[in-house]
Amino acid sequence: MSHTLEITDLKVHFPGRHGAPVRAVDGVSLHVAAGETLGLVGESGCGKTTVANATVGLQAPTAGSVRVQGTELAGASRSVLRDVRARAQMVFQNPVTSLNPRMTIGAAVGEPLLVRGRAAGRALRDQVAALLEEVGLRAEHAGRYPHQFSGGQRQRIVIARALALRPALLVCDEPVSALDVSVRAQILNLLVDLQARHAMSTLFVSHDLAVVRHVCDRVAVMYLGRIAEIAPRDAIFAAPRHPYTRALLAAVPEPDPAVQRAKPRLPLAGEIPSPANPPAGCRFHTRCPIVVDQCRHEVPPLRRVGDSDVACHLA
Amino acid sequence: MTPAALTVAALSLDLGPTRLVDGIGFSVAPGEVMALVGESGCGKSVTAQAIMRLLPDAIRQTGGQVRLGEEDLTALPERAMQAIRGRRLSMIFQEPQAALDPLDTIGAQIAEALRQPLSRVRAEVRRMLEDVGISDPERRIDQHPFELSGGMCQRVMIATALIARPAVLIADEPTTALDVTIQAQILDLLRRLAIERRTAVVLITHDMGVVADIADRVCVMYAGRIAEAGPVAEIFAAPMHPYTALLLASIPRLSDVPKSPLAVIAGQVPAPGEYGPGCRFANRCPRAEPRCATTTPPLLAAGQGREIACFAPLADRRAP
Repeated sequence: MSHTLEITDLKVHFPGRHGAPVRAVDGVSLHVAAGETLGLVGESGCGKTTVANATVGLQAPTAGSVRVQGTELAGASRSVLRDVRARAQMVFQNPVTSLNPRMTIGAAVGEPLLVRGRAAGRALRDQVAALLEEVGLRAEHAGRYPHQFSGGQRQRIVIARALALRPALLVCDEPVSALDVSVRAQILNLLVDLQARHAMSTLFVSHDLAVVRHVCDRVAVMYLGRIAEIAPRDAIFAAPRHPYTRALLAAVPEPDPAVQRAKPRLPLAGEIPSPANPPAGCRFHTRCPIVVDQCRHEVPPLRRVGDSDVACHLA
Repeated sequence: MTPAALTVAALSLDLGPTRLVDGIGFSVAPGEVMALVGESGCGKSVTAQAIMRLLPDAIRQTGGQVRLGEEDLTALPERAMQAIRGRRLSMIFQEPQAALDPLDTIGAQIAEALRQPLSRVRAEVRRMLEDVGISDPERRIDQHPFELSGGMCQRVMIATALIARPAVLIADEPTTALDVTIQAQILDLLRRLAIERRTAVVLITHDMGVVADIADRVCVMYAGRIAEAGPVAEIFAAPMHPYTALLLASIPRLSDVPKSPLAVIAGQVPAPGEYGPGCRFANRCPRAEPRCATTTPPLLAAGQGREIACFAPLADRRAP
């Protein structure tokens, strides 16, 4: 059986200002099985958002393959992309800029159904009402405008619109990062709830490891355009194999002073290198605490260690 | 007890007829990190601006005092305040790149905090850059902000803020724009500098993880008031205000059960101007009593250095 999402050796390169292309994504392979939630984590510039954009056809791959339910997106025609976008829907970070301020939220949520001819008139109104209720809003909200809602409510509206076509794959790019702490919990509960109810596949992009652990079944860690480690949630949090995963986990400040202050510090030296001029060999070698000579020359392939796939010579 | 480096007493800030900050007070000792934590709109950033006397024109201080050591800053003329900012009282901001002058070298900007040309204080500036963990300071000193990463720019801002050895540093979301591995470096740096230089730090943040990491004490703000204040260890172990408790329970942790429901706070923060006469959390509070909606609970001492503003706290720690 094919996976809901299958990405193979994806490369996305952007033209650089000074000649060398920016290799934002440089050979990423991953899949999301039916009903599964895959977390994609990493720091700014690691390429996680570019992978998400390529998944819904918002970014054409430079090379490699992106398949949604078996349909290839790389080099696909407009009509194929249009068809795939009905099956793969995206939720962005900022709900304020994701909604047209001059459109009622009923019109915004119903638009995907209307433009694809799935519903109109009374049937459309009923479906919009059901979608709003599904995300915890009320049917009578349909006539209101985005500015009449709080940030958390607006993210609910965006989620309702993404669900309208009953997609097989939901791509969430930092869906709670712009929200206040108390509102974040409401949206996370809603996402977990929707996953359980619809058995939807989800690609969940986030920089927040605690959030990813809370909603995901498996986790992929990206560094500088490549996958460092992919593993089931419990494996990656209990026994991270890649030194970058370990450093990332150690850096998460836990909201518990006793735990946080007892935690061993694994400070990473230096900064993330430029994706226009990535280091040779393992891309993490310039900051790696356990680097050996091999890492400077040889690219570590992803290989199976325990339950994890790790790109490290020393794992 | 050492005298406080900074004391804020009964501070009130108004935007037209709307009271944004309603009589808050706290103090910070030398070498202590005091976190001001709360969600957007709770008044934590305007409080910082009021301490610096850098409020936007539309917001007025209508009551209270800000004291630096023994000196009341509220009454000082702007000229005297200018001599204090950057020397005895410094501030760092969330967006380091936006806070630095793009046209000036970082060395010159750090020297400016000493009111000296770089040529005269170059050795001192270089030592400060080393102290905040900038590698190769001799080269960096002559570079411009665009040549530095976000994390390095934040180190430069910290160097600028601390080179004159101020008694108090206000850090407004200093790591919010940074990646976690860089955030960890900057938090370690702030804590080390607070201890070594005896700087009193007011850390403004929305992130309970950051508070747990480096703060000694915390003031939890809600809708322009302090809900609860006290030592970080005690408040995290046993929050007394229902807002603090719910806020802590709503954060996903590396230790909780994945996909289990997180605690939620019903409704949303009321907008300034829509506050009722009583406790501002009353309409969202699961423990609210009738009087909570009509009477403002005062902030009272609750033992162990704690203070709480609640008629129905979770565990009543007040002495019998």
